[in-house]
Parts: sequence; structure tokens; C-alpha cells
Amino acid sequence: MEMPRRVSVLFTLVLTVVLLTGTSNAIPAFSRQYGTSCTTCHIDFPKLNDFGKAFKDAGFKFPKADEDFIKVPQVMLGAPAQKELWPHTVFPGTIPGLPPVGLRYNQFFQYTSGNANNYYQPSGAPGSVQPPTIPRTDFEPGYFSIFMAGNFGSDIAFWVDDDLSVSGQNANGALGDGYLRFVNLGRFFKLPTDALTLRVGQFEPDLPFTQARSINISPYDIYTQANIGSSSQNVNNVYALQDGVQGIEFSGGHQYGGYHYSVAVVNQNTSGNTASPLNVSSPGGFFSDANYKDIYARFSYRFNLEKDPASRHDIQAAGASGPRDHTYLSLGTFYYEGRSVQRFNGGAAGTLLTAREPFYRVGGDFSFNYRTFNLFGLFMYGHDHDLLLNSPDDPTGFIRGPAANFNGGFLEADYLALPWVMTILRYDRVQSTADFLNQVASGNYFSPVGSTRNRVTPGVQFLIHANIKASFEYAVRPKQALSYDPTTGKPLNAFRTNTATGALEFVY
Amino acid sequence: MKRTFMMVMLVVAMMSLAASAGTISGKVSGVSGESVVYVDTVAGKTFPAPTAKPVIDQKGLMFVPHIVVVQQGTTVEFLNSDKVAHNVFWPSVGGNKKLTHNLGTWPTGEKRPFKFDNPGAVPLLCNVHPEMAGYVVVSPTPYFALTDISGAYKIDNVPDGSYTVTAWHEGAKNQSKPVAVAGDSKADFTLSK
Repeated sequence: MEMPRRVSVLFTLVLTVVLLTGTSNAIPAFSRQYGTSCTTCHIDFPKLNDFGKAFKDAGFKFPKADEDFIKVPQVMLGAPAQKELWPHTVFPGTIPGLPPVGLRYNQFFQYTSGNANNYYQPSGAPGSVQPPTIPRTDFEPGYFSIFMAGNFGSDIAFWVDDDLSVSGQNANGALGDGYLRFVNLGRFFKLPTDALTLRVGQFEPDLPFTQARSINISPYDIYTQANIGSSSQNVNNVYALQDGVQGIEFSGGHQYGGYHYSVAVVNQNTSGNTASPLNVSSPGGFFSDANYKDIYARFSYRFNLEKDPASRHDIQAAGASGPRDHTYLSLGTFYYEGRSVQRFNGGAAGTLLTAREPFYRVGGDFSFNYRTFNLFGLFMYGHDHDLLLNSPDDPTGFIRGPAANFNGGFLEADYLALPWVMTILRYDRVQSTADFLNQVASGNYFSPVGSTRNRVTPGVQFLIHANIKASFEYAVRPKQALSYDPTTGKPLNAFRTNTATGALEFVY
Repeated sequence: MKRTFMMVMLVVAMMSLAASAGTISGKVSGVSGESVVYVDTVAGKTFPAPTAKPVIDQKGLMFVPHIVVVQQGTTVEFLNSDKVAHNVFWPSVGGNKKLTHNLGTWPTGEKRPFKFDNPGAVPLLCNVHPEMAGYVVVSPTPYFALTDISGAYKIDNVPDGSYTVTAWHEGAKNQSKPVAVAGDSKADFTLSK
């Protein structure tokens, strides 16, 4: 039964790769509200240009004189004179004149190397039904998503996106981000503009390079890397950097120049075993095993490199042939600290043992931009304490084992060759001893022959319209092996399972 | 007596002039919105460039006005009233792509002039807001008009004579026709995409 299980894992992971494209979000609702093209804010949707970053920083508003650009007037939730009654409040506010709804749909076509079925071997009784194999070519429906975003006036912004269906099945849909953002709270404390903003809800952390708004078909490997415990580790930590979090975030500064920071306090974002049955039922009927709050923090500084001070400090640089993104160098760092929770039976004593294993992720990033060429990269180091049961037969507590570490990152070059043609070259690397030790023996699809996984992924994207995109990427995957020389431990007949993936998506 | 004679001669001369300066009027149909009608190049005749400088603003992510008609040799000033960065460029003049030009970037509230020495329609674009579009229609003669929304137009002070009159509309094919002006003349156009 081992081989079919492997194939099943393989099939699942192929689908995962296809569908882990991230819930990229461009916002046609803004196009309608302002009567402007996607390219006002996006280089190659959903990647933001400098103006798009400023628009986001400002709370989904034009950074200056927003009201001059709105083509669909906002609906007042009270007469302007109401403010005279409550001069020190932001009551009553406004709502967008049109429901700020956007929709997105994408679909995929993948060509997979025939090596993908190297794992397959018939099993069971002759004539028994076998699990499906990996198709060489495959059409896959992707996400059908709805997203709503805008500003309620008084610098209160909102965002909600939800996948109505995933892979053609509506049961797989889930909330992406859903939050309120109170922009420029610093004005109440006489701080510089945009020095303090509060976000509350569920959101992607302030990652150096967003996964949710990535233009790539496949996700960054390091963002999806979990430090999963198995035989040599005790506590499963399925947290990956790309995971959405629930909590609050304080942030400030600007993404288009100068400093930017964020500090978030979020629910414990691990899915170690939860209490069952639930010992306390919440009023809302929801439950999370989040006694501990994780912390995510990020700081970055972007140096715009134009000589002219006015151009350097403006949202967009003044180019000889028109405004453009700045030439810049951005440097940043990030840190996530949390605890993995997993509960164990205390054995003879009949007690419930709770492992709260500390872990952290720390990394640095850079981004260099010259005109329409953007080179950026990230390195991350992950560390999990390893809490082992002090006595596997009759545990009463935990002892600390050797830590589980991993590291890796990516380097990507984007070049917008034409306003509607984006070329991409990307290198992903994950070095995970734990990953190697735990998974390679089972013949996992992505398990490399060593503890380092390298992937090179060239790609090209075409904006057929400003809101319709055809994307292609070819992933040169790491070598895999089915068997190892028992004496040397070296892999035998290593092979690569490369994939060519095309995606077609539109937003409206 | 001498003064009376001069006055009579002046009146006669003015009446004579009035009689030789006619109008061309009519309607442009087949399209909706404003069109431009102008008298095409008159062989052997040149016209001094006007000194007035019309202004085209960029306001609320739009070119305002959307269409401006000028005589060849006119300097147009481009203003940015928006608090976002803009740019003005055109890919061609009268379909001639060699006459493409980019005015670059300039601060909000300031103007940048350009003298249009070549006749033809100039499609104005902004390279950061691709939805923005405007037109400068450069007429080779001072005899031109912008129609109203219904397509009606009237060109005044056209000397009597034979001309080629052209109608232009955004997104439609130009249409030219000969018109003999003797006093008030009529010329209707039906344009198509």
C-alpha cells in the first residue's frame, strides 16, 4: 500500500502547487470608483507600483485630494452639519457610492514531467482498483474570489476577500483577509502623517514581499515551509510564513520611501492538537487554541535614489518621459515568535500534558528597483525548540531535544519588458534538515535527495487586457530519489519532476 | 467733400469685404459627441500663427477640455491641476508616428508649452493613467469649428472660394469634401468608424 499512498500524496501536492498561487488581489472596485485603469496602481496586477503602495498606505485613498478623483460620489451617512453636534468624533462617516465589489477567477493548465509517476506501483489484489496517477497534462479550475475594499471616510479603510470556490469546489473556499484599518491615528498624538496605523482582523502579516499579491503562479517555497515534527521531533508546527493571522497590527511609515514598520500581536497560529471536546464554548461559536499570542514585527527602510530632492520624496519619481517608479534600494528585517501547542496523554497518571514549544522565524530582505527592473530577495532562518516527552512510556513532562532548524529564501528578478509583458526569473532555496529527515524516507513528491531544495522558475506574463492575464512558468524542481544505496546512503536514479504551468485569470 | 467721399469709399469697401467672407455650416452625423470641421490647406496661402495659447488641463484624471482645435503654429500649454503626477505624450500627429513626442514630467500647478507646427489630429495620452485621452486637432487654416453635441457647426469668415473641408471625429475616419464658398455655404458629413 506504500506506493499508492505515495501517489496519492504526489497527486495532492501537485494540486497544492497549482492552487497555492495565493489569493492575489487586484481591485476593480477602485477602478470603478475612480474611473481609472488597473495600471494606475499595479505594474502587473496584483504587484503594486509606487502609487499603488501610497494608495494602500493612505487607506485605499488617493494620497492627496482624494475627493477630486472620485467619480462615484460617496454616500454620506449623515448630514455634514451632524459633525457640529459631535465635533471631536468621526461620526457619521461615508460609504462608497457603489458597492466596492470585485471578482476574480483563474484557471490553470499544467504539464508535468512523466517522472511524476515514478512513484507509482500497482498494489493490492490483482484487479483491484488503483488510485489515480498524475496526468501529464491537466486543466484545473482555480479560485473564484470576491473582494471588497475601500474607505469609510475619516481614514477608516476596510478589506474583505473570500474565495467562493477553489478548484471548482465551493467547500474549499475560505476567508482571505478581512479587516478594518484605522489609518493615520498618529494625528491624535501629533505624530508625523501616517506614523501610526492600526489594523484589526484577519490579514496577511506585513511580509517583505507579499504572497497574497504575488504575481507568481507558484508560491515562494520558504513561505510555505513548515517545520513539521515527526519521529525525531515531537511537536508538529505547521505554521508557515504565508499563513494569514488574526489579531491587531500597528504600523507606520510609507512603502514608497523612507521607513516602514509593523508590529502585530496575533493568535497562536499553529494547529497542534486542539482540545476536544471543547471545554469552553465561545459565545460566537468559534474556538481557537490560541492561549498564547504570537508576535510578528518588521522594519524596513527604502532609499529612493533620485538626485533631485523633490522627485526623491514624491510618491513617484519625475522621469524624463513621465512619472515612474523610483530607483530605490530597500532593506528590511522581520521576526516572528510564537509557540506550538500540542497536547499529550500523560500516561499512567492520566494527566493532560501540554507542550508549548517556542519557535521563531527571523530574516532579512532587500529590493532594488531601476525603472521597470526589480531585483529582490529574502533570507529566512527558522528555529523550533524540540520538546520531547521525558519518558515515552510514562511521560510526565518534557525535556528539550536538539532544535529543529531550517533556512532558505528566494531571489527574484522581474522585468517589465513592455507595459503588458512581464518577464520573471526566480530561484527558491530551502535547506531543512528536519524536512529531509522526516519526509525523504516516505518518498514525498517534493523531498529532495539532500536537505537542500533548489528550484529555478523562469516565467513570463502577458496582460491581454489590463484586467486579463496569461501567465506561464516552468519550474525546474529539485532532484528526488526513490531509493538509496544502503551502504553509502546516496540516492539511486535521482530524477527531477519539472512542471510547466499556465494560468489564465481575470478580474472585473 | 473729400471726407464724405472717403467715408463712402470705406463703407463700400467694408460691404465688399462682408460680401466675400462667407460661412460654412452644416452637421456631422453618424457619430455621437463633438467633432471638428476645418478647411484644409489652401494652396499658395499661409496664415500667421495666432498668439493666443490655449490651455489643456489635467484634472480629475481627465484632459480638460477633451478636444481642442487650434490653427497650425499655435502654442498649447499643458497644465496639471491634479495632485498626482501626470505626463502628456502623443504617439503621432495626423497619423504620422515620426512626430511622436513626450513632454515629460512637471510639477503640479505648472504648465508646459508645445507649439504644434504640423497639421492633423494629435491624440494626447498620459503614460501613468492609460484611461486618459484628449485631442488637439491642428487645422492648417484659421477656418475651423468644434461641433456641438448634436454635430452642428458653423465656420465664420471664410473668404469666398473653393476649398476642401474635412470633418474629424474621435475614433472615426476623416471625411473630406470640396466646398465652394460664396456667402453662406452648407456642408454635411456622415462619418463612420
